[in-house]
Amino acid sequence: MNTFFLFVLVTLVSLMVVYLYRVIRGPSVFDRVLGLNGISTKAIVLLVVIGTVFERVEMFVDISTGYALLNLVGALAIAKFLEERGAPQK
Amino acid sequence: MRIMGAILLFAFWLLLSDSFDPARVGAGAFFAGLVMWLQPARKTSTHKFSWLAALGYLPWLTGRILKSGLHVSRLILDPKLPISPRLIHHHTELDGDGELVVLGNSITLTPGTITVEVAPGELVVHAIDEASSVDLREGVLDAKIGRMFSRGAGT
Amino acid sequence: MTVLAIGLIVFGLFFLIVGSIGMLRLPNVFVRAHALSLTDSLGAVLVLAGLAVYQGLSMNFLKIMVVLILVYLLNPVISHATIRAAHRSGLRTSEGKTE
Repeated sequence: MNTFFLFVLVTLVSLMVVYLYRVIRGPSVFDRVLGLNGISTKAIVLLVVIGTVFERVEMFVDISTGYALLNLVGALAIAKFLEERGAPQK
Repeated sequence: MRIMGAILLFAFWLLLSDSFDPARVGAGAFFAGLVMWLQPARKTSTHKFSWLAALGYLPWLTGRILKSGLHVSRLILDPKLPISPRLIHHHTELDGDGELVVLGNSITLTPGTITVEVAPGELVVHAIDEASSVDLREGVLDAKIGRMFSRGAGT
Repeated sequence: MTVLAIGLIVFGLFFLIVGSIGMLRLPNVFVRAHALSLTDSLGAVLVLAGLAVYQGLSMNFLKIMVVLILVYLLNPVISHATIRAAHRSGLRTSEGKTE
């Protein structure tokens, strides 16, 4: 079973690389924000999977709850800022 | 209303703290009460929320998400990428804040449709293709949510 | 129970992978957001549900359910806010087809 969870971990991390590509390349700033959101969603899942592997779910779940809430605040702040100021011109 | 909120917060605290020694439980009860006491009074909604209808709504929404998720996956994996994005102006009967939040969230949660703008009575929705927008145009979602928030005499 | 958990996780991983492919292939922000909603509302939720089922009925099950509900409630808010900002800052929705 541990092998399976390690497989899940590796898959999640390699999918994060795809989103990282979008963050670095992304033509507009909104692509980058979307990429960051995708990464953080996967980080939430990743933390719970790590917890399952180490059999300390109760601790890692708390961390990922905090991560989810902080991610919400950060993403809303970026979206609000871009809405007020407009997207940067290239 | 506040007592209900305090009980919910306290249950959440118990769930996260995962221990039942008196000091922690006491601190949880204290902070749950403090937070609800500090909260400013909100204007009460005139719509009565029915938990029973909400319980029926969630599984239905999950099934719908699964169906349209498979549809969008097929679109993405198709080598020809047969997407035809469009903006839809969706008129709705719903006007309460709670109803609009549930409607907007449900639309965004469903793959293939995203709420772009929200105003009472009208939503702007971005859909990925024709098939994703059909469900919305038929107004099934509105009817279900309308049933969840019955227009009662207020709480 | 374990079989159900593995089934849910694999199904969720499928959606996560499709979402990533969509992120690479799709042409503009508005359409890419659909791929993101696929990863969020199906992929992450299914994987978390699988992990919760694997824990069995215990305190950990409830805790993972809390994270699941948070993801379920908060991710639509994030993608709506981002897309609204993109729309208001005058980015064109491709094709410009409206009805």
